[in-house]
Amino acid sequence: MKRMATEVTRMFEALTPQLAQNVFNMLVFPGFLAAFIIGFLYMGIVRKVSARMQHRIGPPLWQPFFDFFKLLSKENITTRDATGALATLCPVVSFASLMTVALFIPIAGLPGMFSVEPIFFQGSLFVVLYFLIMSSVFFAVAGFAAGNPFASLGSIRELTQLFAYEFPFVISLVTIGVLTGFRIVPLFTLQLPFAFFAFLMGVLGKLSLPPFHIPDAEQEIVAGPTTEYSGPRLALFELAKAAGFWVLISLGAVLYLGANSLLTFAVYSLALLAILIVFRVVFARLQIAQAFRFYWFVVGPLALIDLARVLLGFYVM
Amino acid sequence: MHDFVLPFGPQHPALVEPAHIKLRVEGETIKGAELVLGYNHKGIEKSFENRPWAKGVFLSERVCGICGHYHTSCYCQGIEQMLGVEIPDRAKHIRTLVSELERMHSHMLALGLVAWEVGLDTLFHYIFRDRELVMDMQESLTGNRVHFAMNVIGGVRRDIGQENYGKMAKNLDTLEERLKHYLSVFRNDSLMKIRTRNVGHLSRMKAKELNPVGPNLRASGIDYDVRETGYLAYKDLKFRAVTGEGGDAQERCIVRAKECLESIRMIRLSLTTLTEIKGDISLKLPSAVSVKEGLETVSRVEAPRGELFYYMQSGGVKPTRVRIRTPTYQTFHVLEEILKGHTISDVPVIVASLDPCFSCTDRMTIIDTKSCKEKIITKHEILHMRDGGSHEAHGHGGHPHV
Repeated sequence: MKRMATEVTRMFEALTPQLAQNVFNMLVFPGFLAAFIIGFLYMGIVRKVSARMQHRIGPPLWQPFFDFFKLLSKENITTRDATGALATLCPVVSFASLMTVALFIPIAGLPGMFSVEPIFFQGSLFVVLYFLIMSSVFFAVAGFAAGNPFASLGSIRELTQLFAYEFPFVISLVTIGVLTGFRIVPLFTLQLPFAFFAFLMGVLGKLSLPPFHIPDAEQEIVAGPTTEYSGPRLALFELAKAAGFWVLISLGAVLYLGANSLLTFAVYSLALLAILIVFRVVFARLQIAQAFRFYWFVVGPLALIDLARVLLGFYVM
Repeated sequence: MHDFVLPFGPQHPALVEPAHIKLRVEGETIKGAELVLGYNHKGIEKSFENRPWAKGVFLSERVCGICGHYHTSCYCQGIEQMLGVEIPDRAKHIRTLVSELERMHSHMLALGLVAWEVGLDTLFHYIFRDRELVMDMQESLTGNRVHFAMNVIGGVRRDIGQENYGKMAKNLDTLEERLKHYLSVFRNDSLMKIRTRNVGHLSRMKAKELNPVGPNLRASGIDYDVRETGYLAYKDLKFRAVTGEGGDAQERCIVRAKECLESIRMIRLSLTTLTEIKGDISLKLPSAVSVKEGLETVSRVEAPRGELFYYMQSGGVKPTRVRIRTPTYQTFHVLEEILKGHTISDVPVIVASLDPCFSCTDRMTIIDTKSCKEKIITKHEILHMRDGGSHEAHGHGGHPHV
């Protein structure tokens, strides 16, 4: 017992300030705890505010937390046709990749773990892009691993939607990337409205919010990829979804609206959240083919206009 | 991509009642659909035969939770036909008024569900909020939100007093305004149009062939409405049937919304007419009604989902047979037909736009199919058993000698 205590003390002594900060970044802010608290709070706000807009009372703000802990306490069921290991791995990888993204974003002007030199290299934007895709792909894989026709259909839709929104989303990020040297730095870029629009549409697609709540369309394919999931695994998926809210809204607030202090970050994040809520309340669901056409033939070309403006030098910082 | 069967139901978020649609899909596209019923079989038709006429009224109300008043109207109307009596004018108007209120709440439910199925939750919640106004009116007039028990054989149970008029006029004004707005949403909202126009298209020719009833038929441009025969007070109320063109999911919604507006007009007229008509609300009939044995009749009314049809055969104080054909029965083969070629995302929209009521219908179809099947199976089984049995006996008999 005493030896263990000394071991632990030694471990803490070994922590250099840099290491301590890294651990803090990973576990507290902007990592695990922030994603958990703020992400679920965002989801709670979305549910509550849209309920009020729909003449409902709605669940309490902290309902997602209740759901999460309740799910954690439930039995872990693996259906006969499911691939158990994959089913557990998918939400974890999905969550982890989103957490990695969070470390790249200088949230609220604080230097994050990967947003300082030397890791803050040229092209960190691309790393973020890939990790975001990874999170979506593993979400889809989870559906295929469940061995359920609704889940498989949901996964097909998830991947199709990924191919649809990724084109304008990438164009939009590249447009900003050209200006920032493919780093993620606070930058006000609303002078490029189409790029922002494409980013917003991409966020709606990634979070599968209306009108793009196609992969988990309740009335059509039950719960999409997560149809067969319950208990702790579903809790992990919920956590990954909360992390998605946290990361994507933070990315928007920093990279497009230029949030560089705690106050501006909070205000811009809530503004973005408000836009998402309006979309959620106002729009019906598109079909997957219609969504695909919208992304490729409406949002994509618009995003290309802004990319051309930046590349041809019509827009200078 | 190979095709597979997607089990749409019996438990599915899009279905408010248990029904099972076996969808043969290839990716998202539907290649075939098969409807499997029988999850709601309650045995009501058989139960009619065990109780006196007067108690059958309550039973018939329980056929459906949404259009119970139409079932009692149709049932009572049949008995009154067999007795050869005509109910007082005031009773006729009250029956009609409650019918039209119930039609409104049923249609608004259907409209709300279509909105929900296309993923427009807001419209769904708005329509259901306004539907509460209709429910309130029903409660104040009849005492109940659903299952009003308004009809008795020979009239109605409860009179409509002047004290309701102020509140009703106000509610009807609000409803008219709101319904006009919803009508324009179903017509003009861009995403609604994308999701419902040309979805589940039922052409005029196909409609004639498959013969659905109610708004589903009228949306295809065929003018068929039992109310046009002028039963109850519909003649006095100058009813005009609402028809549409095109026969897709959008048109069916528009027809329903327009029918609600027509209902509002008729309710207003009916309320003013009721102030002029004095007299009893019910005939003085003995509580144990007896109909001459062997008499039979057919009674029909226009329920929200279409023509409701009762066949009754009298056995004196009780019926010997009551046969109900609910409107949804006529919708099933339409459903199987128009699902083909659409995508999975269209299925909930199409199903909701047809506004099926599985609970009403299941009881009768299942009695049908069951009795049919059982007969066939038992015949086969009997033959088979005889054959199999004799073979077996023969074999057993033979073995020891070998």
